[in-house]
Amino acid sequence: MKDYFKYFDKFTFALLILLTMSGIFLIYSAGFPLKESNYLKQAVWLLFSLVVFFVIFSLKIDFIFRNAFAVYLVLLVILALQIFVGHISAGTKSWFRLGGVNAQFSEFVKVPLALYLAKLMTRFELVSWKEFFKLLLPIAIPVFLIILQPDMGVSFILCSFILLIILLKKIKPAVLIVSFLLLLIAGLAGWNYGLSNYQKNRIISFLNPMKYKTSIGYQVIQSKIAIGSGGLSGKGYLKGSQSQYQFLPVRHTDFIVSVIGEELGFINTAILFFIFFVVFYRQFKFNFQSDEEFYFIYLFNGLILFQFLINVAMAIGFFPVLGISLPFVSYGGSSLLSFFIGEAIVFRIKINNYLT
Amino acid sequence: MYPNKRKLSAAYIKKTATVSAVILIIIFLGIFAVFWNIQIINNEYFRRLAIRNITRSIDLMAPRGLIVDRKGVILSENKINFTLYLVRENVVDMGKTMRLAGFFAAKKNDAIRKIIARYKKYPQFYRIPIKSNLARSTVILIESRQDEFPEFEIGIEPTRTYVFDNCAAHVLGYISEITEAELNQQEWKGYVMGDFIGRSGIEKQYEPYLQGVKGNQIVIKDNLEKIQKIESKINPVIGATVVLTLDLELQKFIEGLFADRSGAVGVLDLQTGGLLAMVSKPDFNPEIFSQEMEKEQWLALSNDPQKPLQNKFLQGIYSPGSVFKIIMALAGLQEKAISLDTTVYCSGSQDFYGRVFHCWNPNGHGTVNIFSALQNSCNIFFYNLGKRLDIDTIARYARMMGLGSTSGIDMANENTGLVPSSAWKMQVSKQRWFPGETISVAIGHGSLNVTPVQMLKMIATVALRGRMPRLHLLQRIEKAGQTIREFTPEFSRVPIDEQNFQVVIEGLFRVVNNEGTGRAAKIAGLDICGKTGTSQIIAKENPNYKMLTKEKRFMPNSWFVSFAPKENPRLAMVVLVENGGDAGAIAAPLSALIYKKYFENERLL
Repeated sequence: MKDYFKYFDKFTFALLILLTMSGIFLIYSAGFPLKESNYLKQAVWLLFSLVVFFVIFSLKIDFIFRNAFAVYLVLLVILALQIFVGHISAGTKSWFRLGGVNAQFSEFVKVPLALYLAKLMTRFELVSWKEFFKLLLPIAIPVFLIILQPDMGVSFILCSFILLIILLKKIKPAVLIVSFLLLLIAGLAGWNYGLSNYQKNRIISFLNPMKYKTSIGYQVIQSKIAIGSGGLSGKGYLKGSQSQYQFLPVRHTDFIVSVIGEELGFINTAILFFIFFVVFYRQFKFNFQSDEEFYFIYLFNGLILFQFLINVAMAIGFFPVLGISLPFVSYGGSSLLSFFIGEAIVFRIKINNYLT
Repeated sequence: MYPNKRKLSAAYIKKTATVSAVILIIIFLGIFAVFWNIQIINNEYFRRLAIRNITRSIDLMAPRGLIVDRKGVILSENKINFTLYLVRENVVDMGKTMRLAGFFAAKKNDAIRKIIARYKKYPQFYRIPIKSNLARSTVILIESRQDEFPEFEIGIEPTRTYVFDNCAAHVLGYISEITEAELNQQEWKGYVMGDFIGRSGIEKQYEPYLQGVKGNQIVIKDNLEKIQKIESKINPVIGATVVLTLDLELQKFIEGLFADRSGAVGVLDLQTGGLLAMVSKPDFNPEIFSQEMEKEQWLALSNDPQKPLQNKFLQGIYSPGSVFKIIMALAGLQEKAISLDTTVYCSGSQDFYGRVFHCWNPNGHGTVNIFSALQNSCNIFFYNLGKRLDIDTIARYARMMGLGSTSGIDMANENTGLVPSSAWKMQVSKQRWFPGETISVAIGHGSLNVTPVQMLKMIATVALRGRMPRLHLLQRIEKAGQTIREFTPEFSRVPIDEQNFQVVIEGLFRVVNNEGTGRAAKIAGLDICGKTGTSQIIAKENPNYKMLTKEKRFMPNSWFVSFAPKENPRLAMVVLVENGGDAGAIAAPLSALIYKKYFENERLL
């Protein structure tokens, strides 16, 4: 037990808590004009997440990997059920009542899927058609189910696993080229037949924000104005005109970066980003006991990095607004809990490294 | 614990870690660079956009200056008005907005679309006035549910009101919204769509003074257009006060006398040349122009045969009839065509150039001289005088006395009337002047045309023995208690000897006081001098004359021009009653009532 404490990565853990706390601090400002109490809910979620964190942390890695696939399957069943009997909230069915608390189950797919994929990846040396298909299928099923929710954000984030697999595994070039072409065709078909107008609008308005001033492109403009007008040191906490006079949309989730950018300026935004950098940077420096640990660490951290990047890019108009939150910082209990579960496994892998 | 489980080489793991670290560093450096660019380099640009988001600059309409009479009684002022504005920038669904606008303003969609189209060159955040004089219930409805209608705003602004409704309508004039065409003109530089400008009367004449200075308010608004606070405010400045020479009490009295008759009256203060009253009947309520007028209302006004919109005092053109004999007498005396000893025998008619001309009195006036000719308005005497003078001499004197040109009063759109001459006839009909035509002109008929204001100026010049006053309505303009412009009386000399005026004045005195044609104007204690004029609309020679003149519209116009008292005159007056019939029976007694009212008020009688 003493060793556990000694080798536990207290510094990274503190940074994660710091990120979440600063998130609560920003959520308070985001909810200030309408006197929303989201920050309190988020604080409760943080406490709950910490409890779960230590529960997961206490489990054996073997046990975790062994049961990941079962958890993954259970989640798929829940997601499928949701499509039929969904509780509708904010235009998506992805929120599900769980003992009186809204839970977004799509968020919980991230970790079990990463675990399962990591396990699968250890089985193939060279990825050809058959193997590639075997790796894609477990991603494609939840992506498909989550699109039906509809939750473009999470399904898009899950697709980052495909990119990570391509980067981490040796894949036959022919497979890459053909699947790229198939993706292109699927994209065009999806655009014409699959996407709803609401989703298309989001993408069009990204391409031409000025033309859609009263629609969704307006959000991006307002977000850029918020960040840009913040300057070096910001307009002051609770004093950003863009957020306090509500020009910024969905401030507590998608555009939390704009709140810190406007009210606390470049200095504090850069500090926040630097904390993220340090958290990521500290995730590579250890020896792995098994290949699946290695793959999991990269898949999970890759996913967080991907989500982080998309969210930040969204806030400055480099990417369409898809409803993707900033990991640890944005409001959203399910997302926070899911990330802390993943981190618990990361911390466990890390500590195993020292204890053996 | 599970050493056998790892197949990946340590070198591969290390390489992956290194590559990942490099990628991470590049990504984060990129993010820092992008944020530096947005937040530091472009800070000023975005800061301005952020300010522009929350601030709104709102023009505050300035109240127009007051128009008051000589005693300070307010004739024209401002009242509170609620205006419905549309801000296109905040429109979410144009169809819904159009439906709401139609409902709030009680207007057809086409009408609203037309209004909006006029502002297409203005920025999207510009407030377009959709309707003024909004009903209170609509104001409350919109204000209480502002969240639901962010595109609509209510403005509280001054609007023009005329305290005594129709009273002095033609003097005050009216205002209406500036048109697109006018905005492009140099004259209206600095005005914007939605501004009101003076269209006639004093409102037009003194527009630059009456127009106040707009104020401005900068407010902080949230994204639902709710005003959070007022950042700064520059109050509008009311326009200058225009003080008129008009005497409201006299004006109202005369308008009352006229009742539903049509015609014109001018009363002049001979000491200053200022008008104490200027009446044109029928009249209208100028306030309807400051509001939105229905098409039917406009058509009714503009097509009325009695022409209520016309200022008959300045614009009405009439044959002067016997009033012109004053000018004939002055011309004859000055040109020495007649003297005090000249007599003419009037038998009721006389032959000139092979045609018989009649006196109005078929029994004739017997032997008449200049005094009795004026007193009884004997046509035969003036026919003979006309024969002795040629048309061009008559025209010269008519012009000298102010006919054929505008009077120069401080009001726009005055008519000049017409003074015929041989050159004029040659130009118009390419024919020489026939001497027989001069005979008609000698008694104020023929092609001769005058306006009531010219007659007033003429009689004023007679009263002042050849000193011609400059007529005016403006007494002074006051701004913040300071007089910034004041009218100083101006007189010019007419080249006619004073003794000739004395002769004519004696004749005009007898018209009223010696059983002349204007005896109905006589008042005990006041020496009124005047001249009647009954100008035919249909020639007496017309075979149907008797029958036609039974119809009101063919009845002759009645003139009475006068001044009082005879010595040191104070007041000059012209009264014209359209289709009034015999002047001695209508225009003269009306004048007497006006004199009585004025001199009693001034405690001079």
